[in-house]
Amino acid sequence: MQQQQHRAFSFRRVAAIASITLTELTRLRVFYVLLIFALVLIGSSMFMARMTFQQEFQVLKDISLGAMSLFTSILAIVGTARLLPQDVDDRAVYTILAKPVPRFEYIAGKLGGVLSLLAISMLVMTALFCAVLFARQQAVLAATAHQMTGLPPQELSDALANVRASTFNSSLLPAILLVYIKAAIVASLTLFISTFATSTIFTIVVAVFVYFIGHLQATARAFWLSEHGGGWASRTFLAVVALLFPDLQLFDGVDHLVAGTAIPMALFVKTAALGCFYVVIYLLLATAVFSGKEL
Amino acid sequence: MSELAVSVVGMSKVYPVPFSRRAVVAVRELNLAIASGEVYGLLGPNGSGKSTTLKMILGLVPPSRGRAEIFGRASSDVASRESVGFLPESPYFPKYLTGTETLRFYGKLCGLRGERLRARVGELLELVGLASAADRRLSGYSKGMLQRIGLAQALVNEPRLLVLDEPTAGVDPAGSRDIRDLILRLKERGTTVLLSSHLLEQVQEVCDRVGILANGVLVREGRVEELLAVENQTELILENAPAELLMQIAALASTSGARLVEQRKPQTTLERLFLEATQPEDSSKRRTSNAEHRRSD
Ligand SMILES: Nc1ncnc2c1ncn2[C@@H]1O[C@H](COP(=O)(O)OP(=O)(O)OP(=O)(O)O)[C@@H](O)[C@H]1O
Ligand SMILES: [Mg+2]
Repeated sequence: MQQQQHRAFSFRRVAAIASITLTELTRLRVFYVLLIFALVLIGSSMFMARMTFQQEFQVLKDISLGAMSLFTSILAIVGTARLLPQDVDDRAVYTILAKPVPRFEYIAGKLGGVLSLLAISMLVMTALFCAVLFARQQAVLAATAHQMTGLPPQELSDALANVRASTFNSSLLPAILLVYIKAAIVASLTLFISTFATSTIFTIVVAVFVYFIGHLQATARAFWLSEHGGGWASRTFLAVVALLFPDLQLFDGVDHLVAGTAIPMALFVKTAALGCFYVVIYLLLATAVFSGKEL
Repeated sequence: MSELAVSVVGMSKVYPVPFSRRAVVAVRELNLAIASGEVYGLLGPNGSGKSTTLKMILGLVPPSRGRAEIFGRASSDVASRESVGFLPESPYFPKYLTGTETLRFYGKLCGLRGERLRARVGELLELVGLASAADRRLSGYSKGMLQRIGLAQALVNEPRLLVLDEPTAGVDPAGSRDIRDLILRLKERGTTVLLSSHLLEQVQEVCDRVGILANGVLVREGRVEELLAVENQTELILENAPAELLMQIAALASTSGARLVEQRKPQTTLERLFLEATQPEDSSKRRTSNAEHRRSD
């Protein structure tokens, strides 16, 4: 057979590994259990007790985005933790790495598979969420129009516009994307942990630990700065902490949504870029550890 | 001498033992030179370092000392695995994939795609006798079937060097004979084969040269005939020989100063007996029917 020149990086190989990983993950039963659970939660937000429509939509978004965030984070941890140990146990890693596959591609492919799974689940949940939101919006619009019959048309159209603005607004998509990016960070972090962990339980425990610390980090940092001031030693320390424990709270755009304040575009872009940076850093760290590993 | 397919120089592997100052020396100061086109057998008892040696040659495990090269390229270089196929010992593959999906995956890793990939996968399934099980998940494969899929996977890129770690472990006699024939056919095409085994008889049948490892040290190496020949003896096998002839031969031998060491009836091997008993019809049918029987799901 004619041999082509070996490429140092081949997107095709990464895609092949990612797609096999995705297949593996979609055959896990826990995925469906979690997904159904999340969908039920989102669906049930339709029937929440409500005072005003603003409150209703707030609760609806709060529950739905919270369900998405929780589900994708759990899935990111549980789905990723077993990926590498599984392949080592199966010795599949030998056959894969005995092909001309650089270890970076192998790790990147694994992460690619998890990220695809998370993306698919996000799409499914977002679709249901939007359907629920749309249904409630229509109901509230109809009710408002009904209540306000007889009032001047200007007032009515203002009221209707008000309802629309508190359902589908420009903050919704950024908030959803941030939930996804947060899950991506958690997944790549878990993959990194699993490269040096000696057991899956260890990986999961550490990942969950980092997840909680990550949510408290911002508060802790503010406290630290107020106590110790902003000297260089204290800043270095905070940088190391920030690398080990990403500030996950940044990605909870849902607070903005619920508060009804728009997420500024600049803030969104900055946060998203920071998220991608974290994903890449953990990917590189995972590759570095995995490359030195005795298989 | 032609180009070296595998060259190993002063290679050692030391595994640290956790919580202990001692360490396991899996391979010690190993030197190997395998010519292109050769079939080389690595023999040795359990734990003698065969698998470790193969993994170091493939760059899966870094050697503690020394170096290994494949076709002149360092094993640590990913590109050295361009034209290599590897079958690890007792391989398992993702269970949720079918035979076809598995081979397609490995083909893609080797840069195959489209029609060429499809054709190659079909060819390989046929070659290892799994065509009838191609669309079943590997979770339902028997041990020997997994070994065959492993072999097919190793061959997907038509490698110039094939590394097999105990290729016949768990495979029935007919299957291991198929594997032996396959190795011989590959050899005719110029493929270099490096295999490890402790089934000495099979190694003897296919290998040009063998090396024997004991506790990580290469204690013997050489051409099979040379290692095994008893230089000062000759074997005669006669059919329908009358008793007088045998007596004459014995007499002749003693007059010429030779000694008749042994006179016996040659025995068929257990392998041949097994093969004759288990496959009355032709062998291609046997494989499929065997596979069908095993999984009636
Ligand atoms: N990952 C590892 N960590 C520690 N020790 C190891 C490791 N892998 C192998 N060893 C040790 O190295 C030695 C050689 O092992 P190896 O697997 O190469 O033997 P082998 O010849 O392939 O044996 P077998 O015939 O049983 O397959 C053994 O003593 C084994 O315990
Ligand atoms: Mg072995």
